[in-house]
Amino acid sequence: MPRAAKRVLTTLILLLATAIFAFPLYYLIVTSLKDKAELFAPVQTLWPEAPTIDAYIRVLVDRNYSELLVNSIIAGVCATLLAIVVALAICYPITRLPVRRRLRAFVLNWALSLRFLPPIAIVIPYFTIVRWMGIYNNLLALILVYAIFNLPLSIWMIKGFLEEIPIEIEEAAMSDGATRFYAFRHVLLPLAQTGILAAAIIVFAFDWAEFLFAFILTATPQSMTFPVGVQGLVTQFEIIWNDMAAGGVIAILLPLGLMLLARRHVMTGLTFGVIREK
Amino acid sequence: MTAPAVPTAPGPLVLDARARTPWWVARSRQERLGLRLLLPVFATVVVIGTVPFLLAIVRAVTSDSGQFVGLDNFSRALGNSQLYDAVKATAIYAAIVLPTEILLGLGLALLVHRTVKSAAIRAAIYIAAMIPIVIPQIAVGVVFRLVYAPDYGILHVLLGDTSHSQILWLSSPPLAMFSVASVDIWQWTPFVYLIMFAGLQTVPMESVEAAQVDGASAWTQFRYIELNYLRPLLLLVLFFRMADVMRVFDHVYVLTGGGPGTTTEFLSLYLYRIAFRFSDLGQASALAVVVMAAMTAFYTLISRFLPAERS
Repeated sequence: MPRAAKRVLTTLILLLATAIFAFPLYYLIVTSLKDKAELFAPVQTLWPEAPTIDAYIRVLVDRNYSELLVNSIIAGVCATLLAIVVALAICYPITRLPVRRRLRAFVLNWALSLRFLPPIAIVIPYFTIVRWMGIYNNLLALILVYAIFNLPLSIWMIKGFLEEIPIEIEEAAMSDGATRFYAFRHVLLPLAQTGILAAAIIVFAFDWAEFLFAFILTATPQSMTFPVGVQGLVTQFEIIWNDMAAGGVIAILLPLGLMLLARRHVMTGLTFGVIREK
Repeated sequence: MTAPAVPTAPGPLVLDARARTPWWVARSRQERLGLRLLLPVFATVVVIGTVPFLLAIVRAVTSDSGQFVGLDNFSRALGNSQLYDAVKATAIYAAIVLPTEILLGLGLALLVHRTVKSAAIRAAIYIAAMIPIVIPQIAVGVVFRLVYAPDYGILHVLLGDTSHSQILWLSSPPLAMFSVASVDIWQWTPFVYLIMFAGLQTVPMESVEAAQVDGASAWTQFRYIELNYLRPLLLLVLFFRMADVMRVFDHVYVLTGGGPGTTTEFLSLYLYRIAFRFSDLGQASALAVVVMAAMTAFYTLISRFLPAERS
C-alpha cells in the first residue's frame, strides 16, 4: 500500500475510534442541556434547540443533591487521608528500613490480593458489622470501608514513589544529627510530596466514584453519596432524562478534572506502579 | 515468596544469622525499628481485612436466629441453579469483553505506535484515552442508558428506527448481554491501549530497525520482537481486567438490573439479589465465603505470573 493511502486509512480509523468514544459523552452533555419540551419531542435531536441549565438546578437545588455532593466530598477526603497515612506508615519501613524481603513481599502481595476480591462478597459481612457497630447509614462506615479498599493502590503507589528517592539523602541528614523522624518529616516527605499528592488524588477519585458500598451501607440523603443519588434518578424518574444526564455530568466532572491534574500518574496508579511515565 | 532473604543491613554477623533467625526476630537495630513500625499497623489492617471473611463463615453456618446449622446454607447456595446461571453469564461476559478489549487495544496501540509520529498528537490521544477510564461506572451507566434506551435512546434515532420497529437493546435476551458488554469495551479498551502503547515504547529501536533492514514484515516484527516486550503487560491487563469483570456491578445495575430475566445477572448482581433483595443473609454469606475462597485460590494460582515484587 502506498504511504499516502496508509496515512489516510490510519487517520480514518483514528477519527472513527475518537467518534465512537466521544459521541456518548457528547450526547450526555447535550441531553443535560435540553429543556423539558424537547424531551417529549417525537424524535430526539443531536443538539439542544434551546440550551438551558435548568436540569442542573433541579438536581442540585430542587432535589437537594448538593447535600449528597457534600457527603461524597467528606467521605472521600477523610477516607483518602486515612488510606494515605496508613499506606505511608506501611511503606516507610518496607522501603527505608532493612525488613526481610519475605515480609516485604508478603505485605505487598497481601495488598495486591485485596484488589482481587469482589466488593459484593465483602459488603455482605461488612453490612452485618456496620449494623452491629451502629454506624449503618453513617458516613463513618463509608470512610472506613473506602480507606481499606483503597489501601492496596495507596501502598503500591507510595512504595513506588518512596523507592525512587535515594535513601542516601536521609542518611546524610541523620549523620548530621537529625533524628529519624526529622529526616522523614523534613527530608523524605517534601521530596515525595508530588507523588503522595498524586496518589491522594487518584484515591479520592475512586472514593468519589464508588457506588456499591454506598448503595448498601447508606439509606437516607443524610449519608448517601452522589453516585447513589444518580442511580436514584435513573430508576425512579425514568422519564426525566435531562435530570439524569445532568447528574451524570456532575458525577463525571470532578474525577475528570482531578485526573487531568494527576495525568502523569493515573496509569501508574491503575497498574499498581507497573506502567511508569517518564 | 520462598526466596531466601538477602541481607540488606550491613554488619559482619548478618550472613551467618540469616539462615537461623525467623523473620520476626530482628538482626539489627534498624530492622527492629522497621518491624516495630510496620507490624502494628499492618497487623491491624490485616485483621480488619480478614474479619469479614471469618464473620461470613460464622454467619454462613448459623441460621437467622443464631443457631448452628452446619453446611445447610452452603448446600442451599450451591444447590441453587441460578448460581450457575450467574456464573455462566459472567463467563460469557468475560469471553466477550476480554478478547475484544485486548485485541482492539493492542491493535490501536500498534497503529498509533507505527504511524503517528507527532508527539503532540500522541499526547492528545493519551489524554483522550484516559477520559473513559476515569468516569465513574454509575455515570457510564447513565451515558449508555441515553444510547440504548427505547424511544429516547439516541441509537434508534441514528439507525432511523420507528417506534413500531425498535430494536430493544436492553430488554431482549441475547442483545442485552452484548449491549452491556459493549459498555465495558467502550470504557476499558482505552485502558488496554494505554498499557500496550506504553509497552511498545520500551521496545529498543535498534532491534526493530535491524529487523526492518532484513526486510521483516510488520507481522514478523510484531510476532518476534514487540510481542516479547508486551507479554508481561498482556498478563497484567488480563489480571486487572479479570478482577474487574468479577466485580462488575454498577453499569449493569443501571442499564438492565440483571435482566431481561437473568440474562445479565452476573455474579455480583446475583449475590446482591440474594443478600439484599431476598435478605437471605445465610445463603448470601455462604456464597460470599465461596466467592472469596475461590478468588483467593485463583489469585494464589496466578500471582506468581505477576510482576508483583520485582525489587
